[in-house]
Amino acid sequence: MKKRGVGLGVSFYGTGYGNGFPDVSNAEVQLLEGGKVGIFVGATEVGQGAKTAMIQIGAEALNMDHKDIVLVSEDTSQMMDSGTAAATRQTYNTGNAVKIACENFNKRLFDLAKVELGLNSTAGLVAQDGDIYLGIFPQKRISYKDLSEKYKDDIIRVVGSFTAQTVKMDDETGQGAPYWPYTFNACMVLVEVDTNTGRVELLKAAFAQDVGRAVNPSLVKGQMDGGFAMSLGYTLFEDLALENGVMKNRKFSKYLLPTSMDMIDVENIIIEDPESTAPYGAKGIGEPVTIPIGPAILNAIYDASGVRIFNLPVTPEKLMKALRESEESEAI
Amino acid sequence: MTLNQVYNGSSIQQVMELLKEYKEDAKIIAGGTDIVVAMREGKLAPKVLIDISKIEDLSEIKVERDSIEIGAGVTYTQLVENGAFGKNLKGLIKACSMVGSPQIRNKGTIGGNIANAAPAADSIPPLIALGARLKIGSTRGYREVLLEDYFQKLKDHGLRNDELLISIGFMKAKDKEILSFSKLGLRKALAISRATISMLIGIDNGIIHNIVVASGSIGKFPMREIEVEKSLLGRSIDEDILDLAVDSLQESMDKRLEGRSTLPYKRRAIVSLLEEALRESNIYRSEVKL
Repeated sequence: MKKRGVGLGVSFYGTGYGNGFPDVSNAEVQLLEGGKVGIFVGATEVGQGAKTAMIQIGAEALNMDHKDIVLVSEDTSQMMDSGTAAATRQTYNTGNAVKIACENFNKRLFDLAKVELGLNSTAGLVAQDGDIYLGIFPQKRISYKDLSEKYKDDIIRVVGSFTAQTVKMDDETGQGAPYWPYTFNACMVLVEVDTNTGRVELLKAAFAQDVGRAVNPSLVKGQMDGGFAMSLGYTLFEDLALENGVMKNRKFSKYLLPTSMDMIDVENIIIEDPESTAPYGAKGIGEPVTIPIGPAILNAIYDASGVRIFNLPVTPEKLMKALRESEESEAI
Repeated sequence: MTLNQVYNGSSIQQVMELLKEYKEDAKIIAGGTDIVVAMREGKLAPKVLIDISKIEDLSEIKVERDSIEIGAGVTYTQLVENGAFGKNLKGLIKACSMVGSPQIRNKGTIGGNIANAAPAADSIPPLIALGARLKIGSTRGYREVLLEDYFQKLKDHGLRNDELLISIGFMKAKDKEILSFSKLGLRKALAISRATISMLIGIDNGIIHNIVVASGSIGKFPMREIEVEKSLLGRSIDEDILDLAVDSLQESMDKRLEGRSTLPYKRRAIVSLLEEALRESNIYRSEVKL
């Protein structure tokens, strides 16, 4: 018989290295030949979209088109360290470093513009689309291109650094402030359990993720889909089948990953509640998007079949065994 | 032994002559979806491969008034996209469309599925249910064998090392007959079948007047399920036909798979497979409990 059930999973997640561990990101911004701006930052792209997000944050801070920004990344000979692409930390931590570096860069260019434009102060200067001009008298302006030519022997390169402060938890009391910021999410699924085969089929899913602010909504939804598919895999399919330390399912015909046919269209809901310490409010979501899906599926299986599974993955054979045992105990 | 020659077969006759020449040193390759894997894993190490994928005579589906003949080199995709397998043969289409992935279906062939003789081969139960016959040829001549018998006595009926599987033929299902197929896989694509069932059922005035049932992966090879057929033949569709089918198949499985660790799971899983097959035959309605 086929039985349907609904399940909800919620989670909150502290991002960054946390627990008092030093967490520092650096970025450098340089005026390039021809007036383009280079952002040198060690944010490793592992498919999560770091390169896109860093350019977007830079473009916002520099108030210029992303096409005039050159991102240089993943080369330790050319840039300072920004820590690992891990702990859901690049958008928040390194994004902050990029924003600070860009702000420092603008300040530096304002100082130069003051001299070049014969002003007595940088007050009222505006940076926009590769030009610096005086807000009350826009004819008074100089382009980045002109500045780059005038200062070609004197490299204009500035640093921005961001440190995330956290407090190690007290071993005795468990007190402390181990992470900042936290991100929140919730997932709800509708499943159908075949009580003869033990197969669990996902029919519908909604997934809401707090991102502070979505730097790039398409990338956020992509990460949510990816996190959902990974969780679906470890919840229902992926089984190493270790026996005395030997992996029995050591090929992909046996170690089952969900295929595109097993994935469903998830209704992704982006929750924007800007985080005050974040670059334009944006928080990372890389790891948290994998967390509430498993519990949601397990709760839905329970709702459908009355059986609680505490050991992943929920293979058909495991679920059938649990169903048989619950039927037997009911019969007694 | 290493592979040192690959022939690009141009005709059935040429392939049969090559097989006569090289015998056990040669293997036929069509789509290569099984043999290439087996060679990489070192399970097979032929000296000579004979590629039959470009032989047109082997890649045709011949539709006559009452019968259909499928060339051994016809791919799953070719079969699925062929219009000849209309309404009442949809079980064969369904089985072929559930094989592996699009890439495998584009390369893998019906003949290869049979020649490889895997217990989980998806296309075979529906062909057994249709009473398919294999046409096998060699320079010694041609022979025909019932697909059902082929697996039953592989030693007697199986392909000899000089023989080529040429085609698979069967009579079209009659208007009142429906061929169904149901499969238990552990995911929705690229899933090796844990169990499959195919039924050809003819109904007349609410009575099951003819029925052939075949299974895959619930025995050492794909086979007829004669006891299930007996339990349903002559029954009215208003009776508890699902229970009858389940009881008889479970009884057969208990004997066949005695002591196997997979038996407790499979004997219950087939309830859903039988239910799906009967539902597709339009003689059973199942419910979903909310």
